[in-house]
Amino acid sequence: MGKGKSRLRRDALALAPLGLLLAPTTARAMDPELTTDTTAQFYDVRSPSGETVLARRRLTTTLGVGVYDLLEQPRPDGPQLLFRARMRYDADYGASGAETQVTNFGRVVPGYDRNAVDLMYGYVEGRRFLKGWLGFKLGRQYVTDALGWWSFDGGSVRVTTPYWVAGEVYVGLEQRGGMPLSQPRFERDGIWRGNRDGYDPALALAFQANQIAPALGVAAETAGIPWFHGRVTYRHVSNTGPSYVSVFNNALYTGTQYDAPRISQERVGASFDGTLPNHGGVKGGLSYDLYMTRLATLYTSVDAFLTKKLTASLDYDFYQPSYDADSIWNFFQAAPMNDIGLRGSYDATDKLSIAGGTHLRIFANQTEADLNAAGRPDASPNLSKTTDANYYDPAKSFNGGGDASARYRWGEGLAGVRASGNLGKEGDRVGFDAYGERILAVRYVVNGRAGLWHWNDKARADRAALGANYMLGAGYVLAPKSRLLVEFDHNINRISGNRFRLMLWLTVAVSK
Amino acid sequence: MKTLASSLLFLTVLFLAAGLAFADGAPATDPLSGSSGAPARHGTQALYGDATVPLKWLPPGAFFPDRGPSDVVFPAQQMTLRFNHKGHLALGLQCVSCHAAATSQRAEDDLIPTGRTCDGCHGTDHGDLTRVKGGDSATSQCAFCHAMSAATAAPGAGVAAPRVVPFRVPKPNMVFNHKKHIDRNINCQQCHGAVEELELATRDQLPRMRGCFGCHQMADPAARGDANGSCETCHLKDGSNGTTQLLPERKGVQTGFRMKTSFPEGTLKPPRWLGNAGHGPDFVERHKMVAANNSELCSNCHKEDFCTGCHDGRVRPRTIHPGDYLQMHPVDARMASQKCTSCHREQSFCLGCHQRLGVSMSGPSEIREAGRFHPPKHIWSDAPRKPGHHSQDAQRNLNACVSCHIERDCVTCHGGAGIGGGFNPHNAHFAAGCSYQFRRNPRPCLVCHDQGSKAIAQCR
Repeated sequence: MGKGKSRLRRDALALAPLGLLLAPTTARAMDPELTTDTTAQFYDVRSPSGETVLARRRLTTTLGVGVYDLLEQPRPDGPQLLFRARMRYDADYGASGAETQVTNFGRVVPGYDRNAVDLMYGYVEGRRFLKGWLGFKLGRQYVTDALGWWSFDGGSVRVTTPYWVAGEVYVGLEQRGGMPLSQPRFERDGIWRGNRDGYDPALALAFQANQIAPALGVAAETAGIPWFHGRVTYRHVSNTGPSYVSVFNNALYTGTQYDAPRISQERVGASFDGTLPNHGGVKGGLSYDLYMTRLATLYTSVDAFLTKKLTASLDYDFYQPSYDADSIWNFFQAAPMNDIGLRGSYDATDKLSIAGGTHLRIFANQTEADLNAAGRPDASPNLSKTTDANYYDPAKSFNGGGDASARYRWGEGLAGVRASGNLGKEGDRVGFDAYGERILAVRYVVNGRAGLWHWNDKARADRAALGANYMLGAGYVLAPKSRLLVEFDHNINRISGNRFRLMLWLTVAVSK
Repeated sequence: MKTLASSLLFLTVLFLAAGLAFADGAPATDPLSGSSGAPARHGTQALYGDATVPLKWLPPGAFFPDRGPSDVVFPAQQMTLRFNHKGHLALGLQCVSCHAAATSQRAEDDLIPTGRTCDGCHGTDHGDLTRVKGGDSATSQCAFCHAMSAATAAPGAGVAAPRVVPFRVPKPNMVFNHKKHIDRNINCQQCHGAVEELELATRDQLPRMRGCFGCHQMADPAARGDANGSCETCHLKDGSNGTTQLLPERKGVQTGFRMKTSFPEGTLKPPRWLGNAGHGPDFVERHKMVAANNSELCSNCHKEDFCTGCHDGRVRPRTIHPGDYLQMHPVDARMASQKCTSCHREQSFCLGCHQRLGVSMSGPSEIREAGRFHPPKHIWSDAPRKPGHHSQDAQRNLNACVSCHIERDCVTCHGGAGIGGGFNPHNAHFAAGCSYQFRRNPRPCLVCHDQGSKAIAQCR
C-alpha cells in the first residue's frame, strides 16, 4: 500500500510540469487541441493446453494535449513553438491481483503491471528559429531512423543550413520500463528488466532492476533536395546501477551483482532514398552494432516505374539479432536471415489500387563443427561433430511466400481484400481477409471484416487448424474527429472453438 | 501608317472571328455540346479535335502521358464553356485582360472571368444574370460560349427555352497566393503551362506539385530564398476544428498541426515520386524504409499517435494480425521474428504474456503448465544433437527463444563449467575477439563464467 502511495506521489510529481504548461495564460492566437481515445476490450486467452485461461477485461484510454503557435504572432514562415503530450492508462480488470503482489512468489509475474500509466510523449518543440536555422525539442520524444523507433527524455537540437544539410544532437535518458510513467517498449531487447521494488533480493534474480540509462545521439541528414534524402545517425546508451550476474538462487552465487556504468548499446546507422520521377527510385539503409562489431540490419529496395500506373520493386532485407549489451544472447551463435522479395503495385484508377509480391527467406545452417580459439574442433560435447546427421545439409535452407492486396477507396469509405501465404520448415500460414468501411449520411459508420486462415505449426502438428473469422462494427460520428464505435469479433477454429471479442471505441477531439 | 495598322488589325480580327465561327462548317449559333448532340468545335477542347496536349505545353512537372493534377487538390470540374485562349490572345489580348482577378491572395477566390468581362467585345449584357441580354451578332448569342440545356420553361414563364448549363469549378483544396507569385515576376506559364497555345484551358493546365518543387524545395531549408518548402506553404493544415477556414484573428495563418489529408474528394496521399513513398495497399509492408530514412516526411501528415496506434498499441491491428492471431502467432514468430520486434519487445511484451499463461519455463510456479511446448527432450535438447535439435532452431531464429525464455533457462546448460552445464553456445573463434566486449561490458560474461575462470582470464 505504502509502495502504491509512493508511486502515486512520484507520478504526480512527474506530471507537475505538464500541469504548469497547461495552466491558463494570457489569451493569444494559440491553437489548442484536446484528444482522447478509449477502448474497452473483452475477450479470453487460453493457453495451448487450455489449463490456463486469462480473462482479459481491458480498458485503455489516452489523453492528448496539443497547443500550437505559442508565440505571439505566428507566421507560416516564421518561428513556431508548440507543446504536445499524451498520457495513457492501460488496465486489465480481468487480471488477478496476485500477479502483481511481489510477496506472492508462486504467483507474481515480475514486470507485469495491470494498471499501467505512462507518458507516451510530452515535449515542447520549436521550429524555424534563427531564420530557419534552429529547431529543438525538450521533453519525452521519439526518434525514428535507421536505428529503429526509440524514445527518450531530454533535449534535442536541430540545425538546418541552407547548404543542403542538417545536423541533430540529442541527450537524455532512454525511456525504460519500471521507471515513473514509462514502459519498456523502447529499450534494447535481451534483458528482463523492470521495477524490483519490494522483491526479496534473493528471489527472481534474472529479473533485473531498471536504472537510469544516459543516452547520446547525433545525426546528419540532407535538407532541401527533392529527389534525394539521406541520414547518418549514431547512438550511445549506457546501463547504470547494479545488475545480478548470478541468475541462480543457491548458496554459492546468490546476490552477486555487477555495479558499474557500462554500455547498453552503441550503434551507427545510415539510410537514403533517391528518386528519378520518370524512372524509379532506390531506398536503402543499415545499422551496425559497434559493440558487437557486426552488421545488424541492412535493407534495400529498387523501384522501377514501369508505366504511369505500374511500379515493380526488388527488395532485400538482412537481419542479424542483436541485444542490449547486458544480455548474454549477443554471444550465442545465431545466423542472419536474408530476405529477397519481388513486388508490384498497380494504380488501376485513382480509387482502385492493387499490389502483390513474393519473397524468399534464406537461413544459414551450421554444417561444420565449431572451432575453438586454437582453431580445433570445440571440445564441448554438444557441439562436436560426431556424425553428419548432427548438422543440417545443405548450408542454406529456405522459406517463402507471397501476398496480394487490392483496395478501393472513395470519399465515404473503403473496401479491400488482402491475402498472404508463407510456407516453410517452421510452419505454414495461408489465408485472406476482406474488409470494408462506409460512412452513411455523414453520421453513421458501418464496418466489417471476414477472413479464412489456415495455419500449420510444424513443431506441433496438433496445433494445425483452419479458422474462419468475421467482425461487424457500427458507430456514430459525434463530430468531425469524434466517433463512437462498437465492434464484435468472432473467430471459429477447432483449437479454441469459438472465441469472441467485444470492443468499444470512443474517440473525442476538442479544440478552440 | 496608323490607318494601315488599324485596317490590318480589323482584318485579323475579322478572319479570326470567321475562322472561329466557321472552322468546321457548322453555323455559329449551334449549341456547344451535350444535350443537342451537336459536333464539338473550336474552343470546346484544349486542342482542336481533342488532340493530346504535348508535354511542353502542360504545366511544369507534368508527366507524359499525363494523368492530370491531383483530384483531391483540384476536384473534378464541370466546364460547360467554349473558349479559345489562343484565338483571343491572337487578338492582342493578354491573360490579365480577362483574368484581372489573378492577383488574388487566396486559393478559394474564383478567378474565372465573369460574363461582364466578355460584354465589351461580344455585345452582351451580363449585368443581371437572371436577365442576360444577347446582341444581334452570332458571337453575342448565349450558345456561342455556353452549353445549353434542352428547351425548358423557366419558373414562372410560359415559354420553353434552352437554358445555360452552369459550370462548376470547385475550390481547390490548397493554399495559394497569386499576388505573391506575380510580385516575384513569375508569369502565368511558369505554373499553368503554355495556355496561349491552347483553345479551352482545362483542369489539366492547373499546376503540378512536382513543378512547384522547382522553387519550393522540401524539406524547408533554412534561410534559402523566399519559397518556403514546408507542406503548409501550399497544403491545408488539419484545423483542429475539422475545417479549413482561415480565422481572421489568425491573420491568415492556418490552424492545426499537420496537413489535412481527408477530403470529400478522397484522401491526399504522397505521389510515388515523392520520397518513393507511394501509399499503395501494400505500403504497410514497405513503410519502414520511408519512415526510417525520413520520418520528417511522414510527420507532415501523421502525428505520433498514428504510429503509436500499431507500433505501441494496445489493440491488435487486424490488418497486421488477422483472424485468430493468438492461435497462429507461433508460426509467424518462428518464421520471421524480426518483424515481431518492430513492435514488441520480447523480454517484456512476449515474455510477460507467456509467463502469465504458464507456458514459459520462468512463469509463476503456481500456474506453470505441466505440458511440454517443444518436441520431446531426446530430440530437442539431449546430446549429441541431431535434426530437430533446439540449437538449430536457435541459430536460425534466436529471437524466438528470447520471446519465452529468460537468461537462467539458457545458463543452466550453456553456462561455463561450475555455473552451467558447460555447453558452449559461442561461434567459432569467439574467444579470440571477445576481449573488446568484455572491456566495455563484462556483465554478460560474468553471468556464465566465474570471475576467476580460465575463460574470463582469456578474455582479459
